[in-house]
Amino acid sequence: MAESLTKQFGSVLAVDDLSFALAPGTITGFLGPNGAGKTTTLRMLLGLVAPTSGRALVLGRPYADLDRPALSVGAVLEATDFHPGRSGRDHLRTLGRAVSLPDSRADEVLRTVELQKAGSRRVKGYSLGMRQRLGVAVALLGDPELLILDEPANGLDPEGVRWLRDFLRAFASEGRTVLVSSHVLAEVAQTVDQVLIINRGRLVVESSLQALTARVGGTVRVRTPQPDALQDALRREDLAATREDDTLYVHGADSERVGEIAFAAGIPVHELVAEGSSLEEVFLELTSQASA
Amino acid sequence: MITQLNAELLKVRSTRTTLGLVVGMIGLTLLIVLLSGLLTHADALASTKNQLNLFSIGGIALIFSGLAGVLLITSEYRYGTIRATFLFTPRRWCVLWAKLTAGLLTGLVFGVAAVGLAFGIGSLILSARGIPSALNGGQITLLVVGGLTGIALRGAFGAGLGAIIRNQVAAVICLLAWDFVINALLFGLVPSVGRFMPTTAADALMGLKTPHLLPPAAGGAVLVGWTATLALAGLALTLRRDVA
Repeated sequence: MAESLTKQFGSVLAVDDLSFALAPGTITGFLGPNGAGKTTTLRMLLGLVAPTSGRALVLGRPYADLDRPALSVGAVLEATDFHPGRSGRDHLRTLGRAVSLPDSRADEVLRTVELQKAGSRRVKGYSLGMRQRLGVAVALLGDPELLILDEPANGLDPEGVRWLRDFLRAFASEGRTVLVSSHVLAEVAQTVDQVLIINRGRLVVESSLQALTARVGGTVRVRTPQPDALQDALRREDLAATREDDTLYVHGADSERVGEIAFAAGIPVHELVAEGSSLEEVFLELTSQASA
Repeated sequence: MITQLNAELLKVRSTRTTLGLVVGMIGLTLLIVLLSGLLTHADALASTKNQLNLFSIGGIALIFSGLAGVLLITSEYRYGTIRATFLFTPRRWCVLWAKLTAGLLTGLVFGVAAVGLAFGIGSLILSARGIPSALNGGQITLLVVGGLTGIALRGAFGAGLGAIIRNQVAAVICLLAWDFVINALLFGLVPSVGRFMPTTAADALMGLKTPHLLPPAAGGAVLVGWTATLALAGLALTLRRDVA
């Protein structure tokens, strides 16, 4: 969790007074456009980057104060963090030895991520999907209760994305916690329970995915021969509408309400359609509002 | 701390980089020992100074162990594995300690290979050409012990340099430029200053008879001083800097 976490790089405020907490046993999506400060935040949580002010706590303590933190927290930060000339198994062994895990643990996690056959090959010959999975294997090495993943789906093919989704669900179903970042909401929408949305280093939304879905108000498209009159009538009800020829797009109201307003004003309506907006549109809207 | 050292030593062994350096070092040592042992005139090769120089060719390992030390740290930054390393061991001083020690041990192995080779082939050449040994036991001991110490220290020296200059190419260039340009020029032009440079200090530690060198003990102390300075500066920077 983060408490008023702030990071300044020169004149750039990358993370600005960010506070949040993770609920145990849930998958939290950490969302925001590229450059929103997600990666910096995760690195502050993991003790790689020192915050300018504020505190980053993992399992109640600063990461570096945890005793052998790899046994309670696993992280996947970059898909490319491997020496190309070292085999996947040796990579896992070097890290496992640093926390006194037996070398056999490397083979166990290789099996978990279905890389047992490629374990003795050098990483140089791995596909991007295999590297992503090796990254997950590194995170799992210490059998952690908290998993932190930075953009894990980047560059994965659909099969890889599904593998990752199933894997994270299974992980969380054991009562363990996941924090997964992404710049595409749709990528994690089927996986996460909670969402944290940040933009320009500030928290924009912290809610459950359900609550966010409920916020998806949508737009009502209404075609009328008197668009000006209807726009005025809507405005009296504090509803904004954008006009395109004889069609109005009304935001923040359902089709029943728009129909009733038109009826009360005696304006004929030729077409009345509720257009559901996707989560992605809400996400874009939320993140663009904050930057405006 | 021992577990971290264990991890670092596996890192050294699990890529072909180290092997490549050893092969390069052995090839170069062999080449130079053969050339200088076979092409030097028999009368010249009978002198103590030239025999010392012949046997000290194993000192070539100074360059290779320095490089191995630099790569120990910079390859982690180059390939991003430093992130996982620090996630598994957030006490960065412990990582750096293990890397310096791994550099020292790697250097020692390099030293044994190169010094052993130079001695073995050098002696063979001398006896094949019927040239009697002009070295006494003390000189040979100094050559071996001083050589191994210097070469091992250079591994830690390189690791310290790599902790300061994390960019691999920049660190390698810096090491080579320091040895072949700055060190060589300073010792050639201003020997009173140049003899305090790391590779000349390592030559002194081996008991070479080149003029202007420090006495062996002083050379050793200077080399330890350089290594400690780089290690401490590298540690201070490693503790302070963010890992992007």
